[in-house]
Amino acid sequence: MTSDIRLDNLIWVALTVLFIIVTSTGLGLLARAIARWRGLSEGEQRKLFWGITLAGPWIVGFLIFVVGPALASLFYSFNNYKLGESLEWTGLENYRALIMGIGAHGRRFTQAMYNSFYYALIGVPLQIITALGMALLLNNEIRGIRSFRTIFYLPVILAGGPAILLAWRYMLSANGGFVNVILQKLASSFFLFDWLYRGFIFVMEGFNSFYTGLSRGDPLGPLKFVIPGALAILILITLLGDWSESKRARTWGIIQILALIVLAATLPRGLMAAPIDPIWTVVVGLAFLGFILLSAWQGHEGRVRAFQIAALIVFAITLALTLAAAAPDSGDPAPYLIAAAAAAAPVLLSLFGVWSRRKYTLLGIAFAILALAVFIHVIPGQLDGGRLALIPRYLTFGTTLEQPGDLTYLKETYPAEIMSAIWFFALAVVMLAAIALLGDRYPRARRAVLYISLAFFLLFTAGALVDGVRYFRAFDTIAAETGTPAYHFARFRTATAQFPTQDRVPLWMTSELWTKPSLVLITMWSTGAGMLIFLAALKGVPRSLYEAAEVDGAGRTQKFFKITLPMISPAMFYNIVIGMIAALQTFESIYILRTPDTEDTLASAAFFLFVRTFRQLDIGQGAAASWILVVVIVVLTVIQFRYSNWVNYEA
Amino acid sequence: MATKPTATNTGRAGRRTLRLQTGMVSFRRLLLYLVLVLASLFFLFPLAWMIGTSLKTVEEVGQPQLNLLPSIPQWSNYTILFGEDPFYRAYFNSVFIAIIVLFGTVTSVTLVAFSFARLQWRGRNIVFALMMGTLMLPYQATLVPQYVLFYNLGWIRTFNPITIPGFFAGGAAYVFLLRQFMMTIPRELDEAALIDGANPLQVWWYVIVPLSRPAIATVAVFLFVGTWNSLTYPLIYLQRAELFTMPIFVAQKLNLQASPLPWQDVMAASVTFVIPVLLIFIFTQRYFVEGITMTGVKG
Repeated sequence: MTSDIRLDNLIWVALTVLFIIVTSTGLGLLARAIARWRGLSEGEQRKLFWGITLAGPWIVGFLIFVVGPALASLFYSFNNYKLGESLEWTGLENYRALIMGIGAHGRRFTQAMYNSFYYALIGVPLQIITALGMALLLNNEIRGIRSFRTIFYLPVILAGGPAILLAWRYMLSANGGFVNVILQKLASSFFLFDWLYRGFIFVMEGFNSFYTGLSRGDPLGPLKFVIPGALAILILITLLGDWSESKRARTWGIIQILALIVLAATLPRGLMAAPIDPIWTVVVGLAFLGFILLSAWQGHEGRVRAFQIAALIVFAITLALTLAAAAPDSGDPAPYLIAAAAAAAPVLLSLFGVWSRRKYTLLGIAFAILALAVFIHVIPGQLDGGRLALIPRYLTFGTTLEQPGDLTYLKETYPAEIMSAIWFFALAVVMLAAIALLGDRYPRARRAVLYISLAFFLLFTAGALVDGVRYFRAFDTIAAETGTPAYHFARFRTATAQFPTQDRVPLWMTSELWTKPSLVLITMWSTGAGMLIFLAALKGVPRSLYEAAEVDGAGRTQKFFKITLPMISPAMFYNIVIGMIAALQTFESIYILRTPDTEDTLASAAFFLFVRTFRQLDIGQGAAASWILVVVIVVLTVIQFRYSNWVNYEA
Repeated sequence: MATKPTATNTGRAGRRTLRLQTGMVSFRRLLLYLVLVLASLFFLFPLAWMIGTSLKTVEEVGQPQLNLLPSIPQWSNYTILFGEDPFYRAYFNSVFIAIIVLFGTVTSVTLVAFSFARLQWRGRNIVFALMMGTLMLPYQATLVPQYVLFYNLGWIRTFNPITIPGFFAGGAAYVFLLRQFMMTIPRELDEAALIDGANPLQVWWYVIVPLSRPAIATVAVFLFVGTWNSLTYPLIYLQRAELFTMPIFVAQKLNLQASPLPWQDVMAASVTFVIPVLLIFIFTQRYFVEGITMTGVKG
């Protein structure tokens, strides 16, 4: 039986080799024919033939296994397609379910994305620190250092397979696993270690229960304004004092990042709404126009062209879809056409003429008008139902809770009534833009806007914090009266209510609070590849730099932060990019470490994709999930490259 | 790091500071060794624990314990494993797949890298950039339709989806690594061969391949470890017990319904699974180091 299949495989291998030889030579001949037709010399033709023929295996494979499947997968993602059944065109339905978190699978996907970001934002930095620490240890010329390097690298080759992951699973058993037994032994022997150990459990459970609450969409109440508020305060504080060129550059940089955050948090959901609000066409146009203006201002002509072309392509697609009535799921195409025209006009305008002062002014005014249109359109939706009236109450430390004794009000009505926190990022963008624009010419006005903004955000954040505490107090009161602890963030409250007692152990794979940390621990254990890259970079730092610093009297820490870190920044950058991508794609370790109960709390985006496609055979949604993952990875990578000016390539 | 005596360090006071400093240095060195040893323990321990557990009894495995080694080594854990037909089948399947993948991928990757590194042809840089671009593309993007493709070819539950794609120079990273290496070979060598009337295929086989042996070995070693460890693709495509490879066999040893969990059996299977990888690593570890440093930052 198996031997038949092996024989079968060998026959297919032979056929494949034949196929590759034929197609590669065919490609080579084709290239030569084209070269002859184009009138290239005999030698040139020959070179082309051999070059294409020998690169042929890759080219053919690329067409069969990458281009074809990628196009097919894009097509499947717009269909309801179960393996073995026929396709049914459903438009954006798959994407909608995943992005909006609709239905059981949508909620699972949302959680998988949260898990992936946990691995990327918590796991990767820890991995980088471990790898750098290992590399620094190994960067000493002492006897036997090569053996240590071998040992440090060993986990990498083991961690790729299931065997060592199973060993970890056994070691991490909550009840009697080696890790917990030794931790408890140490804790009972050393007084100090005991407190460290319990503190560790406390912090981990507190943080992870909070993260779990976030990923489930538990309402934060007014507390959700604290993060944008605090961020705005921090940014504004760095702008205090005299205006300077570096401050100006920094302000515009921050404005870009915040605008990207606002866009990323609103656009996908906005585009997925059914039917789509035509205003999103304007938002997309606004984003493109912003990028075009900015790139032109900074003198990147290639980038300007790229954005113009991209914008025109997007508008052409929008137009085609609108006319085919595929984009707006129902209704009158007129508003969509008007919106598309309004958004496309300034981009079209930007194609003509040189970048003169007049052109900037004209496009700037167009940008402002469109932005105003978006605000006017969006604000009533955000600020109706008395939402605007909440702001003065935060500012004066008043309460915004109207029925603090009602559980449904606290759990559902109130969270639905307060505005989105993203709105305050948008507000910060507007304030910062005003500061930056005024800063060049009107220092007094700039200072006034700065102080007013700072005062506003300070009061607002403090008010939101106070009201947030009030919000959770209200939950406590209800719980105390009725005995139902079913309020949200309950896990966080119980996890942090009491400092862990002496007999507590980390629950590792059996608790949703410990599954993700377990995985992070294992990735830290197997971070040898990053270590080798750091080590190679460390060896490349010229000794003379350290000697010069020593002459100037620099200490160890100073040498590390002023010389070592900047000199190895390319390695750092490389490790971060690779680490982030790997974090989003985590699969095998999850497959081995999961239990049926904890699977959802471990699942990464890649694991979700596997379950949807290969267990539940829903090809359409699996393909949609894979494309969302691709977009996220590409966007993350592009952002990292865009903001990589801390990387020093002079090394 | 080490302090060298300098010309100014003369006289009694100078000698004293010198002695103090060497004392400091050896203390620091001791500390460094201590940290290195502790870290090594952390990195080696799971492997040691795996081997120790594979020799324990069910009772020992089920109890909380700190003993690395069993009270009496239970070699029967291994004899039972070696008595199982599925074990041999899985091992043989894994070896079979590894050989074919290694043969196909190494050959095609070397050929393609040769074309990119040593041949001058129009459009080469564009094709090369395209290939590097696929490194950015996550494999998930093509995973689903590839499955559909193989499904339509009738290749599900065969070895084909796992072995065949390698023949198409699978793995842009390997091509890149080999290309980087081949670029360093002096160009006069192939020119001389070409003047003697050799065609590029002969130059590849007689000149470049023998000179690229270290890089080819690096690729082969990475490839073997990757194929041997691979779980995702076999899991997706094999779907039938007779076709299972070692990673699936090992993973399935953990039967969550059993109580107590038969960790000693799981770990015995794991040890047999890890041995080839360990041996390869021990004998070829410099290729790993070179490979990573070469494809890494300064590529």
